[in-house]
Amino acid sequence: MIQKKKEQIMQVIFQIAALASILAVALICLFLFAQGIPAIARIGLFDFLGGKLWRPTVAEPLFGILPMILGSIYITGGAIILGVPIGIFVAVFMARMCPKPIYRFLKPAINLMAGIPSVIYGFFGMMVLVPLIFELFGKRFDMMSGDSMLAASILLGIMILPTVISIAETNIRAVPQELYEGAIALGASHERAVFKVILPAAKSGVMAAIVLGVGRAIGETMAVKMVAGNQTMLRLPYEYFKGVRTLTTNIIVEMGYVERDSLHFGALIATGVVLFVFILIINLLFSIINQDKKSGGSK
Amino acid sequence: MIKKTLSLALSSILVFTLLTACGSETTSNSSSTNSNESNTATTNEPTPQTDNNETASDFDSDRIIGVFTREDGSGTRDAFVSITGVGDDMYGDAAVKTETNEIIASVEGNAFAISYVSLGSLNDRIKTVNIDGVAPSAATIKDGSYAIQRPFLVCVSDEKLNDELVKDFIDFILSAQGQAISAARWIDAVDNAPEYTPSGLTGTLKVGGSTSVDPLMQSLRTAYLDLNPGMEIEISGGGSGTGISEAASGVIDIGMSSRGLRDSEKEGLTDFVIALDGVAVIVNVANPVENLTMDIVKSIFTGEIVRWNQF
Repeated sequence: MIQKKKEQIMQVIFQIAALASILAVALICLFLFAQGIPAIARIGLFDFLGGKLWRPTVAEPLFGILPMILGSIYITGGAIILGVPIGIFVAVFMARMCPKPIYRFLKPAINLMAGIPSVIYGFFGMMVLVPLIFELFGKRFDMMSGDSMLAASILLGIMILPTVISIAETNIRAVPQELYEGAIALGASHERAVFKVILPAAKSGVMAAIVLGVGRAIGETMAVKMVAGNQTMLRLPYEYFKGVRTLTTNIIVEMGYVERDSLHFGALIATGVVLFVFILIINLLFSIINQDKKSGGSK
Repeated sequence: MIKKTLSLALSSILVFTLLTACGSETTSNSSSTNSNESNTATTNEPTPQTDNNETASDFDSDRIIGVFTREDGSGTRDAFVSITGVGDDMYGDAAVKTETNEIIASVEGNAFAISYVSLGSLNDRIKTVNIDGVAPSAATIKDGSYAIQRPFLVCVSDEKLNDELVKDFIDFILSAQGQAISAARWIDAVDNAPEYTPSGLTGTLKVGGSTSVDPLMQSLRTAYLDLNPGMEIEISGGGSGTGISEAASGVIDIGMSSRGLRDSEKEGLTDFVIALDGVAVIVNVANPVENLTMDIVKSIFTGEIVRWNQF
């Protein structure tokens, strides 16, 4: 009898815990959309998403976030180009080629990398990466400062490594050993078996790793703010040596001084809504890829 | 056994690196605060930089000027753009930094940079430029010869001017005790201020407006309430414009502003300058530039001049 009571009480506690997390998500959604949607409606959806100028404090303010949307895409794209190949190679190395003693160092090192706060990455970027880029490319490309898309992309490329590596590694390890042994039996070398058989078999898992990497990169704020320059200029993809503002940094740069409940405030929340939609799309992609993997595995 | 020693060694390495990292960070932090402190003390007489003659010859003046600015809405930026005439035309390529410390770190790390900070934040990691031949200091700001300065002022409507509570608080702000508080972080505005004697009045005052003046007003309020325990002062924000219009309409008793009153706002209001704040234009210590005219500063920050050899 007492046992049963205990069960029931514990069940309620677990249910409350589950509800609390759902409630948190629901409240954040509610806050974002309740404050953001009216602002978008006042600015006009196309003027907001497609506007090339962000001038919130002039007499006739303009709230166009196209430069920030593009900025987020450029910087994330750069981070993917730099971070994903390194991440996948490291994951392959760790899963299939790494000698045990090295693995014992490598694994905790990568876990540690995931645990470093983003402001430390930003500090590193501001003090090391930005001056270095300015020193190397400043004169040749007429740079104004080292604060640039390049700096942000390199920094984010480093920051997404632990996410990409650990998920890709898990998925490469999950590939059945028979595939590898079959390839070896047919005369493939170890490297050939890994790259031509195992890696393609783990394709959906690796894709999931990349998608989560994208999610990490697009949502990063503090480190990007410190190295990206934060200009609200509309940039073209080849202007990699100039600074740009992302969706996340737009919010953090201007939140400090904005007058509450003004249109400017609403526009910043609406920037958050756009970012939220981006993240939703990425999570949706992730679950679609995972679905594929599961159905593929059960065949 | 091997595993155990290995993990022990590894964790000790981790702890060691963690500790050293923290250690170096705290020391750099404390040194920066120290330099900040010593600088607030010495801002009154900025030392002319004479020891960069060798580096000056290395300065490649054909390089792009690295313009750093503060974010939209910052009080320092507001003051800077309105006095220099940059207005809403801030150079779009200028990198935006949200903290004075980030501005100083950026200018320190970029030989071709230029930016601006409040006078109280200057230190010797960066170089201060004279504007139209005048170095920013308490003296040049007080006599008005250094142009990039802004008044911190309070304004009172003509009806409230005779209110004895309002009068007493303003007497306190402009007294020797009040001005000592202004001078602690900013520059005092009244010479030979008279001593204030506590009035022992009771009542409530509403003060509101500029968030830049807010820290000063908070300090003044604390000191005033110590002398007059029967008084109550409520401070609200909203910005200079709000403070001025609410003081004029009588919603609040005293409005705070970090800019001078516009002609259209002067109707029915009396303003008192309670402190002064200067905005210094800063460059890298390797930069040979000693003096800039106001026009050149404006052209740099609007993007008309982009290289150091274009003027």
